[in-house]
Amino acid sequence: MKDVVIKPDAPNALILDKHADYIAAYGSKRDDYEYTLSEYLRMSGIYWGLTVMDLMSQLPRMNCEEITEFIKSCQHECGGISASIGHDPHLLYTLSAVQILTLYDNVQAVDVDKVVEYIKALQQEDGSFAGDKWGEIDTRFSFCAVATLALLGKLDAIDVNKAIEFVLSCMNFDGGFGCRPGSESHAGQIYCCTGFLSLTGQLHRVNADLLGWWLCERQLPSGGLNGRPEKLPDVCYSWWVLASLKIIGRIHWIDKAKLRAFILACQDEETGGFADRPGDMVDPFHTLFGVAGLSLLGEEQVKPVNPVLCMPEDVLRRIGLEPDLLN
Amino acid sequence: EVAVLVQRVVRDISNAFKKNPNIDEIGIIPCPEPRYNRSPIVLIETKLGLESWCVKFLLPSLHRKLLLYRQRKNYLDREALVDVTVTLLLLNPDFTTAWNIRKELLQCGVLNPEKDLYLGKLALTRFPKSPETWIHRRWVLLQILQQCYAQKGCRKEQGEGYLCHTEATGSSQNLCTHQAKLLHQEMTVCSEAAGRYPSNYNAWSHRIWVLQHIAKDNVEVFLEEFSSMRLWVSMHVSDHSGFHYRQFLLQALLTALCKAPQSTAATTLHQQGITTTSQSDTRAAFGLNESSKEWQPGIVTIPQLFDLEMEFCSELIHSFPGHETLWCHRRQVVFLWYQW
Amino acid sequence: MKLYSLSILHKGATKSHLLKAAYDLSSFSFFQRSSVQEFMTFTSALIVERTSHGSRASVKEQEYLCHVYVRNDDLSAVVIADHEYPQRVCFTLLDKVLEEFSRQVDSIDWPSGNPDAINYKALDIHLAKYQNPREADAMTKVQAELDETKIILHNTMESLLERGEKLDDLVAKSEHLGNQSKAFYKTARKQN
Ligand SMILES: CC(C)=CCC/C(C)=C/CC/C(C)=C/CC/C(C)=C/COP(=O)(O)OP(=O)(O)O
Repeated sequence: MKDVVIKPDAPNALILDKHADYIAAYGSKRDDYEYTLSEYLRMSGIYWGLTVMDLMSQLPRMNCEEITEFIKSCQHECGGISASIGHDPHLLYTLSAVQILTLYDNVQAVDVDKVVEYIKALQQEDGSFAGDKWGEIDTRFSFCAVATLALLGKLDAIDVNKAIEFVLSCMNFDGGFGCRPGSESHAGQIYCCTGFLSLTGQLHRVNADLLGWWLCERQLPSGGLNGRPEKLPDVCYSWWVLASLKIIGRIHWIDKAKLRAFILACQDEETGGFADRPGDMVDPFHTLFGVAGLSLLGEEQVKPVNPVLCMPEDVLRRIGLEPDLLN
Repeated sequence: EVAVLVQRVVRDISNAFKKNPNIDEIGIIPCPEPRYNRSPIVLIETKLGLESWCVKFLLPSLHRKLLLYRQRKNYLDREALVDVTVTLLLLNPDFTTAWNIRKELLQCGVLNPEKDLYLGKLALTRFPKSPETWIHRRWVLLQILQQCYAQKGCRKEQGEGYLCHTEATGSSQNLCTHQAKLLHQEMTVCSEAAGRYPSNYNAWSHRIWVLQHIAKDNVEVFLEEFSSMRLWVSMHVSDHSGFHYRQFLLQALLTALCKAPQSTAATTLHQQGITTTSQSDTRAAFGLNESSKEWQPGIVTIPQLFDLEMEFCSELIHSFPGHETLWCHRRQVVFLWYQW
Repeated sequence: MKLYSLSILHKGATKSHLLKAAYDLSSFSFFQRSSVQEFMTFTSALIVERTSHGSRASVKEQEYLCHVYVRNDDLSAVVIADHEYPQRVCFTLLDKVLEEFSRQVDSIDWPSGNPDAINYKALDIHLAKYQNPREADAMTKVQAELDETKIILHNTMESLLERGEKLDDLVAKSEHLGNQSKAFYKTARKQN
């Protein structure tokens, strides 16, 4: 079986200070070659960093003004927001930007009406969403659209019923969802689709037992979760799978203690941060999903996280957003 | 000094492509130090290599150049834009905006779509799952298809349905030559990417997209795919995406068979006008060799289709114990059977 | 499923050396092939050195599985495969090539032989034929003498090493690995 072996000397305690230091320092490596390589997703990168800082109650360490200015300069004429300055707008980064501004309780920093207009214009005849003006269709973008609108309190701007029909047309016989009708089920896409159905009040339309079964089968003997059959476990799937299980009310179907041990083993005790698997290089993406996964498992040293939006529950309470969960 | 180096490398790369239009793979050659006065570009037969030391100069510099252009703080002529985006995308193919600039160049006729499919194919030799490369590819394919429909007056069908009987005209001759060529090319690109990264979600979902958009309703194409997948999946027994693709084909074939006039167990491929001139052709259509014992001469019925698939699945489970993918496949086949 | 290399080696008192090898590196990118080949040879030799006479073992190394059989007469063989390829078929293949090799090449030539001097040509054919284990006709025949429970399984290359020994050091010291291969090894290890 494809899996990893957790070494006996792997980390088994949560080292929060190190993770906060790691994230705080990450943004200062701007001239790095690696940093340039990932500029195309910078807005999401900032969302990952800020969210994990907030979950660890360390958000004040980040530079709020600078980030807000950055986001403002990423909004385009069409209303959409790009990953970084000079890049093209896209739903993926529009969601990240709105998430960041929600953490800072400052969505008015951008032109909200134009954001709504941008999203509305990307909805297609069949209810699906294109990610940007070039037209690629994916259930990820359906999620981005409704999540952004839900955070802005503007869900009624789109044809929600058609959007729902499209997402449901991507459901497979195994209970899971893929990126388009007929596509393979994938834990990341399942997160997007269950999150979407939660925000649109349609969770009763998933077959929770069937899907829950498929999701539980992602757990490997190491305790880690993979995203599809016969793939290696990866910390980010602790989020995509676990959050989906939480949304459909089946989180108690997996072995929590073993998953916790796997996630903790993916920490780097020297540098701080989490890697995809024990011993690999850390990054902010896996650091957020490691910490957020632990939060879903009930870790008390971090704030409770919302499984649908991957943001601290207290932030969502502040804006009065409470996505449905099955129980 | 860096600027001179960068310009030289970009020029060398573009010259390499001009001189050798058959380059079919790109790669990085581990080499921490520059060798005095030698270009970091190496061309061996049809393989283009770039020495690793120069990447960390090249990429940030070109990246900056392109973004300044995008913010109208810097002018680049069209030729420079083409060259800069080629080098950048071969190094960092998920740089969405660089692909978008090429889309714009394509729209105003500076680039031809085939060239961009070729660039994407090369990027995939190094980054076989790069989502943005696959996304750009679908956009370019749609441009080509639209052109093709416009020229030939082909009918552009709505919706994304699977093949359906009433429209199943049934032979790849009905695809125009251009479409048939495209189809073949896309299948090859997907196969190569699937071979380079196991369970390559993006490669396989692209393959499905291609069938849905280019070979819509063409049962013969689906049959050909179903048959050629038999060997592939039996050599990749843990590739869940490959098996999912086979399930997709099976379901599409069933749908076609079910929509037949006498939609019963007696429905045959013959009645669809989709089979094959001889028994061995039909046998080949299911990827079976002549000696397969379960073969019964005549027609292929839906129950036979299920029988063959279940037996194939049992054989694989027996030969390669312990593969979750094989059990998932079995689950799906049984489900389809039950549903039918 | 894939077989990448098939090598026959002689196990000497401290070192082992290569007698003949066949490779199928078509699935690797072109500019990595020579380094990958050097590493497969290096790894095969190391595994034979660290495996005792008369035993069979399988060693996991990232996405590869290296299967080794060291005979009591010092003749040894290693096949490097991926995780999909059935272990049982690998050992059948090892038995078969060692059997054939020892019939065709005089044992006097083993301790000093090298790939250029040894006249045994079937390795490439075996490697090609066994790529598809279902065609290789080895699937159904479980060899009576092969007791699978006796195959030693190592979860990492490290577990073959002695205390304090490090794979990185062995790589750095190796005379058989060129500079490019050593650089490749560093970049290929995402691990820190
Ligand atoms: C608010 C949050 C947390 C996210 C925003 C919503 C998005 C964009 C979620 C992305 C979910 C995701 C990971 C989707 C999967 C994409 C996909 C089909 C990846 C293909 O997988 P491979 O590239 O084959 O990689 P693996 O080997 O890991 O499967």
